Amino acid sequence: MIRFDRVTKIYNKGSSPALRDCSVEIDKGEFVFLVGPSGSGKTTFMRLLLREELPTSGRIWAAGRELGRLSNWRVPYLRRNLGCVFQDFRLLANKTAFENVAFVLEVIGRPRPVIESQVNQVLDLVGLGQKKHRFPSELSGGEQQRVAIARAFVNRPLVLLADEPTGNLDPETSIGIMKLLEKINKTGTTIVMATHDAGLVDMMRRRVVELDQGSIVRDQHRGVYG
Amino acid sequence: MSRFLSPRVDYTLREALSNLWRNRLMTIAAILTVAVSLSLVGSAMLVKQAVANATVQWDHGVNAIIWLDPSITPAVRESIHQQLLAMPEDIASCYYNGHKADYAEARIVLRSEPAAFQALTPATTPPSYRCRLRNAVDAYAVASHFAKQAGVKNVTYPGQAIKTMRRTTTVLQDVLLVVAIVLMLSAAVLILNTIRLAIFSRRHEVSVMKLVGATNWFIRIPFMLEGFLEGLAGAACAAGIVLWLQKVFDSVVAKPTASGQPSALWVSTGQLVTTEIVIVIVAVVLSSIGSGLAVRRFLST
Repeated sequence: MIRFDRVTKIYNKGSSPALRDCSVEIDKGEFVFLVGPSGSGKTTFMRLLLREELPTSGRIWAAGRELGRLSNWRVPYLRRNLGCVFQDFRLLANKTAFENVAFVLEVIGRPRPVIESQVNQVLDLVGLGQKKHRFPSELSGGEQQRVAIARAFVNRPLVLLADEPTGNLDPETSIGIMKLLEKINKTGTTIVMATHDAGLVDMMRRRVVELDQGSIVRDQHRGVYG
Repeated sequence: MSRFLSPRVDYTLREALSNLWRNRLMTIAAILTVAVSLSLVGSAMLVKQAVANATVQWDHGVNAIIWLDPSITPAVRESIHQQLLAMPEDIASCYYNGHKADYAEARIVLRSEPAAFQALTPATTPPSYRCRLRNAVDAYAVASHFAKQAGVKNVTYPGQAIKTMRRTTTVLQDVLLVVAIVLMLSAAVLILNTIRLAIFSRRHEVSVMKLVGATNWFIRIPFMLEGFLEGLAGAACAAGIVLWLQKVFDSVVAKPTASGQPSALWVSTGQLVTTEIVIVIVAVVLSSIGSGLAVRRFLST
């Protein structure tokens, strides 16, 4: 599903690598926490998977494609198989919850009736069926993150990448988001989540990949934060 | 609307129209920029055409016209031609304007005298030799030489006032051409900059679109449609302004003088329509392509 083969990423010549000779393999349906201090390379790992960056050396496979060989015009098609959720939600402020989620399906040209039914279904899944006509500014942080998760999942991607999805939320709301991600994982979607939240990692007891100064220093099944 | 259109067309229209409304201040700025810039360009073009119309007979440095009898025989015409060729010290060059060419020119020159023009047909319009003299002061001598020749109707040459006017209008035309080009370039830069600002304020939106897998063209087309609509609205305003200016010009500058002679400065309906078409094409092409280019910098993968 996802494979890093001796991947190194150096942003500027002369600077130290953001990722250093990383090799890791993540199978279909896995739930993996990516942990490590700030600057350890978690975000670079995510950006490489989204093909926002190319590795300086090494090879990456995701959703059945080798990203280094992927031409620029094919990148959007790759991203349709990779849902992503961010700490700052990144919702479109001028669109309602429904429209934010529907946008993903409009992008791939789904007909209106299909969009209606799929979006309603996924908004019910994240518990926002009643608030679908609200704008992001009318929703709480936890609800906005639920909309972001619904948007990432509506297209049933093979992989869902979550970069600090609970970073802006209180502990109780964070647990709700984790339960939602777990529910999505049970549908067979692979989840890679970068986090600083030791409590959540320790609670979930899933695979933990730890990065430190760009290197993978631990890869533990049913692991804990530190 | 959505019931009848394909999802993509429906999305593009909805997105473009809602964005125009949502960013209405920038939309108005873009429309005004297009309108003001292109009305200046259009006005400069019209003034240039008016000046060109006023001096059409004296184009290409012509400073003497030998009008021939409409029924002149080829032999007599040839004899005049040979005489012109035999005066290289006075005449730098000459070209023959046939019945049809002079008739077409008369349509412009006799605009203020429709009765005189209607009395003409191509066959009754005198053909002419248009000559460029080596020295303009020789015009009188050349005119005297040919005026009484068989087959020659009369010889006209510009008086000092016309000569001065021609010299002035030649400079004026060149200046207006440069002004029109500079205005066009300024309009292009202003339009592009306004569109760029509008898109810059929405770069976050573009980055989200990319993250969810929108192709570059999917993102670009609503922006281009917005640019197209802004350009069209701006062009409509500019066309209206130019039309209004032309009417004002016609009623103030080109109205008949006290002597009953209309001003030489005027533009035909055809020239006005051409100018309006140029304004519309320039506006929509610049705005659509400008939007496409402006959004490009936010689309690099």
